[in-house]
Amino acid sequence: MKKGSRRRCRVNGLRFATIVVALLTIGTSLLVSLAYLPSSSAAADVKIALIVPLSGRYARQGQLKKMGAEMAIDEINASGGVKALGGANIALVTADAGDTVEKAVSAAQRVLTREKVVAGIGAWLSSFTLGITEVSERLHIPWVTLSYADPITERGYRYVFQSSPVAGIQATRALDLVVDLAKANGRTLKTAALVGDTTATSVAFLRPLKDKLLPAKGISVVVDESWSPPLADATPIAQKLRSAKPDIVFYGGINFPDSALFLQKVKEFGLAMPIVGVGAQMVSPEFLDVVGKDLVNNVMAAVASHPIRGQEALIEKFKKRTGEKFMTQDPLSTYANVWIIKEALERARSADPTAVRDALAALDLTSGPAASSLAPGRIRFDERGRRVGATPIIAQWQGGEPVTVFPAELATHKPAWPWH
Amino acid sequence: MRRLRSLGTIALVIAATLALTLLLQERYHHRILTLVLLWATMGLAWNIISGYAGQISFGHQAFFGIGAYTTVLLILSVRLTPWAGMLVGAAAAAVAAIVIGVPTFRLGGIYFALATLAYPLIFRILMDFLGYQEVPIPLATSRPGFYMQFADPRAYDLLSLAVFAVTLLMSHWIENSRLGYSLRALKENQHVAEAMGVDTFRCKMVAYVLSAIPAALAGAIYAHAILFVVTPDAVFGIQVIVQTLVLSLVGGAGSKWGPVLGAALMVPVSETLDATIGDVLPGIHGVVYGLALILIMLFAPEGLYWRGHALLRRRHAAPGSGRRGIAAPSSPSRPVRATAVGGPLLEVAGVSVSFLGLRAVADVSFSVAPGEILGIIGPNGAGKTTLFNALNGFLASARGTVRFRGERIDGLAPNAICRRGIGRTFQVPRTFAHLSVVENVMVGAFARERHRGPARELALQALAFVGLESHADRPPVGLTTLDLRLLELSRCVATGADLILLDEPLAGLSRDGVTAILGLIGRLRAAGFTVLLIEHTIRALLQIADRLVVLDHGSLIAAGLPGDVTKNPLVIEAYLGRRWLRHVETLRT
Amino acid sequence: MIFFTEAVQYLITGLLVGGVYALMSIGLALIFGVMRVMNFAQGDFLMLGMYVTYYFAAAGGVDPLLGSLLAAPLFFLVGVVVYRTLLVRLRKGRDPQREMDAQLIVTLGLSLLISNAALMTLSPTPRGLPSSYATTPFLVGPLLINQARSYAFLLAIILSVLVYAFLTRTDLGKAIRAATDDAEAAAYQGINVSRMHQVAFGIGIALAGTAGGLVATYHPITPTVGMDFIVLMFVAVVLGGLGSVFGAFLGGLLIGVVQSLTLLFFPLQLQNIAIFAVLLLTLYLKPRGLFGQRVREV
Repeated sequence: MKKGSRRRCRVNGLRFATIVVALLTIGTSLLVSLAYLPSSSAAADVKIALIVPLSGRYARQGQLKKMGAEMAIDEINASGGVKALGGANIALVTADAGDTVEKAVSAAQRVLTREKVVAGIGAWLSSFTLGITEVSERLHIPWVTLSYADPITERGYRYVFQSSPVAGIQATRALDLVVDLAKANGRTLKTAALVGDTTATSVAFLRPLKDKLLPAKGISVVVDESWSPPLADATPIAQKLRSAKPDIVFYGGINFPDSALFLQKVKEFGLAMPIVGVGAQMVSPEFLDVVGKDLVNNVMAAVASHPIRGQEALIEKFKKRTGEKFMTQDPLSTYANVWIIKEALERARSADPTAVRDALAALDLTSGPAASSLAPGRIRFDERGRRVGATPIIAQWQGGEPVTVFPAELATHKPAWPWH
Repeated sequence: MRRLRSLGTIALVIAATLALTLLLQERYHHRILTLVLLWATMGLAWNIISGYAGQISFGHQAFFGIGAYTTVLLILSVRLTPWAGMLVGAAAAAVAAIVIGVPTFRLGGIYFALATLAYPLIFRILMDFLGYQEVPIPLATSRPGFYMQFADPRAYDLLSLAVFAVTLLMSHWIENSRLGYSLRALKENQHVAEAMGVDTFRCKMVAYVLSAIPAALAGAIYAHAILFVVTPDAVFGIQVIVQTLVLSLVGGAGSKWGPVLGAALMVPVSETLDATIGDVLPGIHGVVYGLALILIMLFAPEGLYWRGHALLRRRHAAPGSGRRGIAAPSSPSRPVRATAVGGPLLEVAGVSVSFLGLRAVADVSFSVAPGEILGIIGPNGAGKTTLFNALNGFLASARGTVRFRGERIDGLAPNAICRRGIGRTFQVPRTFAHLSVVENVMVGAFARERHRGPARELALQALAFVGLESHADRPPVGLTTLDLRLLELSRCVATGADLILLDEPLAGLSRDGVTAILGLIGRLRAAGFTVLLIEHTIRALLQIADRLVVLDHGSLIAAGLPGDVTKNPLVIEAYLGRRWLRHVETLRT
Repeated sequence: MIFFTEAVQYLITGLLVGGVYALMSIGLALIFGVMRVMNFAQGDFLMLGMYVTYYFAAAGGVDPLLGSLLAAPLFFLVGVVVYRTLLVRLRKGRDPQREMDAQLIVTLGLSLLISNAALMTLSPTPRGLPSSYATTPFLVGPLLINQARSYAFLLAIILSVLVYAFLTRTDLGKAIRAATDDAEAAAYQGINVSRMHQVAFGIGIALAGTAGGLVATYHPITPTVGMDFIVLMFVAVVLGGLGSVFGAFLGGLLIGVVQSLTLLFFPLQLQNIAIFAVLLLTLYLKPRGLFGQRVREV
């Protein structure tokens, strides 16, 4: 009897204590939240916001972007900072876009209203970028993004700058390349397969191919499969490819496991056809660990940027800094975007976001780290905010490493076409 | 009085929120406030079906998403202002609630929850399939207000506050209405609620539709104020229902203040976590939510609001004295019903009920005259309770008819039978544990009275009739078996029943209790009720019953005056035993 | 003829995929059948199983098929610990309905906790176990049968049979079933019902961990992968009949087959709608499922 009541007393006490501790935690965090002070950095610092996914499904991509931005900032600060602002250093204000649009927009609201940022970069997933730029546009803060989705610069906004070629352009160039490449290897492409998920970027890449580009070249679409991620099993796709035997496969997949499954099935079914994907996740080093270099060999990807001829030193520096196997679009584009903002700051001679925006709109760079990172070597934005003449890079996995194969003048390797 | 206090608190909360709207300066803080209000609205909406009615839904985000997508797609296609689009979304959600509810409400518990889970998942895939994976809300340069776009974040605060206030008032209204009592009753025990005249299906449907509308409105505002880009995952995704569940369960389901409290606590906490350590510890928000759910279920499963409520109530415990007043056997008011002049009140003809091949009740026929007390006896397993279940509407009889006042009632739902005038008590008393004694009886009273005030009057009358009026405001927990049976009886009386089915009312009672119940049955007859009772204690039945009916192995083996039936050799063989016969002889002499 | 070959190929693919779904699902069914707990966290234990098998392979060079078997006793212990620290506290015997709801919510909280803690501590970089048999098929005429999935399927069948034999032939298994059928009666027979629940939960979690290891032979490993499988598991268990281990096994196979065969008629995008349609149809038309016992009907 006594034992029971003693135990009950202990449990009651434990319960009470837990509730008290919980309430105290809640109370404290509420107070902290209300009295939240912006991060303290040297007053002379110029701040750039970086809002990328750092947790959740896309954290890996966000981390890569952060690495690129940090490298650029260190370079800039080491070489004297922003000279037009008296050598002011640049500081990066990072916020986690998480894995939902709500979190991404919250991050933008939080950072852009609390910190005095001059510009911002991000956010990898096009829906996040769309949401964040709604906030940045209303707050008159210029935003430079590498997202490919066309709608980003179709809203008539003045403060959004898209440094990547949009997905439609990527599709056009990718098709041109492979048609030429095939011809150079004695092959005419007659049939194509379109395989991808239903995310906006994949759709923005594959739909123009289906609607306009392939018919214009007289290529018929024999397989057209899409799925809502995650993909349970790639067997049906591989089966369709096996029976239809297309001359080329265009692929779009944002969820890494889906692409891994797809490549495994391609190998298993003995499918030997060129695969051209879209997006930097197609060239991430994880493929080597998860599926091995044989499966991914010769796969091509249309990306916004990739290390090109003349960037060897930069790549080495990055690899040594971060321990990453190679440098891809994500860190490279943020690296370039930071340098673009730095150039804009130099021209604006001011840390006022609107002045920076005007400087970005008037920018015309043909040299410097930014221009040399983004093909074809010129940084200029049109009235919509799209980079004029932005050319995608086509990278191809060769020997366990993705290398630039197009455009020829920037390529580090010749494209391989082992399919006859 | 309690209702006025409640309204006062509502007014206070709204006023405090208005004050916050004016005081907060930072845009980000306004966003947090808007989020608190929107999630509180969502929690209140969920609470209507899952808290009050107890049907835990894992799919409420379906309505949230319907509201968001309808509004935004109407802007894009026909340039319809979201102020109207919001209402169209709410209507669409109401229709969806009906379509989802009709097949799904037949299920209970985990089955219901899993079925509701499927719908938002289906909508997610459909939206992707239809090409709406990313729908940005176009920036309106001219007439932004027309498109619900405001530069001043205060406007969104006020908009969310308006929807929140409407939902809060609606919850308040539900709590105090007939619907609210019916929902709480069916949450506790659906069968008993049906037997007390609650049309459980209709109530659940009404609650579901009422819960869908605020969810859709919240979704529409969320799209405009928070997201700016509508994606299937953002509005149909699992994190929406997780957020709703966490704040409703931590705050406390089943009360309008629970979700409000939960939202006021959990939303700022999660935003703060994301803002402060979210970079260093990504996913901390999810960890805290998971911990919160676990800790709440372990230590305060009813939620913080109810825990606080119970602690306060214990402090001011109402002295529910155990003394029963010497009740003046006042006659409770009876509904006026057209009576077939003459003729039996209840006619059972050839009723048969089978379970998996076993014939529990086989071709039973008898009739009950108005004002009569008919006893039903028989060995265990004879089919007595099954017979009651068939009369009541819980079970369908495979054959035969049951006529009440000349009209057929076999095949009707239990709540319809109750409203025709048949009430019932149960072998093991089943009360609605979370309602007070008078509220228990009010559930019955609502079968014939729409409004709370008169229903309460009827309930108090019924309680007075059985002598329980001094216990009116206490919870039924802790009542004696006798009092519980009296409570069940007064509930039947309140429904306006003419015929009451008593299932072993004397079981578990002391000699005094038996006397009390028998006396009450006598008073029932005097007040014009007709009683059918199942009993084992023959001695008691002999005192009170006008006639007896004997069941054995599902068949009726004897019927008639008690004196005759107890001497019937078949009855003695099947049930009473020869020793009884000798015993009766000694009694008589 | 071509259609027939295609259909057979789809059927075989579906069966192979379904075999592993079956193994995942019998754990869930066992836990529900014995304890009436719908374990939302089953998918996350699967994810942990994937990681554990990965670490065995990466650190010790252990073949993943073997690694998944080694994971079983480890996860059994984890299950027992989770039961004793968490679930047993909810069995207060007050109100079975509320108790079940509480357990449901606790497992949901556990799922959130595990998946987010994994996100916090494990790197988000996807991992994998590239092996030749993940991409090599057995060739049977025109049919391609993936090796990794075949081995996983075989192991899944063997383990399921072992579990079934355990439940029907051993004393402990029979005691568990007794505790399922009627806890009170079992208690009177001297069966420690709480311990039976503990064992059942442990086995259920062990099955999740092992299934994870098997899945890891052909599926990339990320902290959020649990979410992708949990709904499938629910559908399989409902289809088979909540509470029936054998039913869940068949349900898993059926779900795999349904998922695959729908592609003969519907686009890939709508594949999962077919799964949800199966769930709804089962719940509406035959909530008992194929082999279920009592249904908590309204």
